Amino acid sequence: MTRGRALIAAALVLSLALVGVYAAAGGASYEPVQVRNPCEPRPENETSGGLEGLAEEFTLSALDGAACRLGVSRERLARALATKQNRERFTKRFHIDDEKLTKAIRAGLVRAVDDAEERGKIPSFLAGPMRSMVEHVPLEQGIELVQDAEKILNGGSFLGGLGDAIESLLP
Amino acid sequence: MEGGKSPNPRVWALALAVGIVLADSSIVVLALPDIYRDLDTSVFGVTWVLVSFNLVMAVAAVPAALVARRVGPGRAAAVGLAIFAGAGLACGASDHLSTLLIARSVQALGGALAVTAALELLPATVGSERRATAVWATAGATGAALGPAVGGILTQLVSWQSIFLIQVPIALAAAVPILTVARHEMSTRVIEAEVRRAGKPHLWANVALAMVSASIAAALFLLVLLLIEGWRLSPIGAAIVVSVMPLAAVVGARVSGWVEDERARAAAGALLLAGGLGGLALLPKAEVALTVPPQILVGIGLSLVLSALTETALSGRAPQAIHGGWTISARHAGVVVGLLALTPVFTHDIAVQQKQAINAGTSVILDSPIRPTVKLGLAKKISDHLELEDGKVPNLGHVFDPLPEDEAQRSEVVELREELQEQLNAGATHAFSPSFGIAALIGLLALIPIGLARRIDL
Repeated sequence: MTRGRALIAAALVLSLALVGVYAAAGGASYEPVQVRNPCEPRPENETSGGLEGLAEEFTLSALDGAACRLGVSRERLARALATKQNRERFTKRFHIDDEKLTKAIRAGLVRAVDDAEERGKIPSFLAGPMRSMVEHVPLEQGIELVQDAEKILNGGSFLGGLGDAIESLLP
Repeated sequence: MEGGKSPNPRVWALALAVGIVLADSSIVVLALPDIYRDLDTSVFGVTWVLVSFNLVMAVAAVPAALVARRVGPGRAAAVGLAIFAGAGLACGASDHLSTLLIARSVQALGGALAVTAALELLPATVGSERRATAVWATAGATGAALGPAVGGILTQLVSWQSIFLIQVPIALAAAVPILTVARHEMSTRVIEAEVRRAGKPHLWANVALAMVSASIAAALFLLVLLLIEGWRLSPIGAAIVVSVMPLAAVVGARVSGWVEDERARAAAGALLLAGGLGGLALLPKAEVALTVPPQILVGIGLSLVLSALTETALSGRAPQAIHGGWTISARHAGVVVGLLALTPVFTHDIAVQQKQAINAGTSVILDSPIRPTVKLGLAKKISDHLELEDGKVPNLGHVFDPLPEDEAQRSEVVELREELQEQLNAGATHAFSPSFGIAALIGLLALIPIGLARRIDL
């Protein structure tokens, strides 16, 4: 073999080896984090348990429910609800008025109550009043509840002493 | 002109002139993010700091060679270097993109004159046409490979302006030994170079040069962008990383000496270049160390292929300055096409990646075991950060600062930050993959004209 051919063969082997090793090591199989469809049932998270864990589940379910109603991802909705300015930009971009947003937030909160009831996190006799309350909650309060679900569960201004009852009944 | 076999300062001066001019096509690569910020322009706008120089070089190289032959290569080289130095000063003083682009274009005009005239002067200076071609090609390849690393170090240690300002004394120093030839031409009115007519340029060698140059430009430009914009390395950090390529090019130059067959060297070089770029397209992780093997292949490959194709294009053809002009024109046209073709691809991929990164970041945060109120606070910070990082791959790492004081929450947040950063880095790396893949394909396709390129020996 001439030096020229040997050089070409060496270059070919080295190039193929590098590409092969990198592809085998995962270079060809990158998958970005998939944004889940908010309308599909959400698998139960590993939460810290107690009222705090329930609040976390509640927030995630409420975001899913509201996002599903609006036809956006829960990630986008979470960022949109972070500030008033974000919210205005979001509603303008997706042509969503206050009424539509209010209905979506309420739907999200109802879904959160449904999920918690279905998973045995809150008893049915408490789920009913909670559902009727969130079905009529005003927009600003609804957003506040999505962001900090402990308020609804922890005996805050929304449910009076109901929160204490929930805590005592938590599994 | 005088011939000489003893070490001649003029050889060094000519090699330096070629090296510094051809380094200029890539030297600003690492400074682009700083220029982008300082001159408040767009990614596309800042790309033109590279494109303008290479475009003018591509257009002006052959006419510059004709001028060099008409006025005398000594005078042309000296004047070219003076123009290059003056325009470099103007580049360093620019505070607006338009003035920088004009100065870069003038710099390229001076550079084209100096480089093509240098090729006309070299045979008489080194004693043979073949050796002159080798010196010229090696100086050009070394300059192109060294450019980004030198530019990055200067940007970090001084400023992007210093890249241009430092060229002024170097270009003038290179012009000094050449002035003797210029004076000789003026006093004797003898222009020895005008004895032969220009023949047709070597089509396939020049086509192959254009293709591999497009591929090399992409390798340098994309890798630097990946390191600085994707992985957030400092310019000096990126300069150290990309210095693997010129070091490998030195090895490539040694290999060139062992194999005489230019087509074999060119083919091996193109294969290595394509393999290295393929490796960069398939980086398994966002780790600097993983860029080293591909860079070694690219560095050796570019050294082999550029020198072999330049020698093939110039072999048996006269006058050298004109055919050298064609090779310069082909190389820089390739760089321009490569940059203009790949810029929309990677800017689009970065924009897509940016959206994915934000969603991935929010998703990871929402599914994390930290308190809902903390989660939503982080979502807000991500949103704010997104606005600040408009048009770039975002680095969300510091949105977690300050870390919670509670020990348990702190470790959860740190874990979350690491997971998120890993996601972002993987995403940023992947955003460059299609562009690296296209560049690898161009390098591979260069094998076709390389196969058709035959050397002509006198």
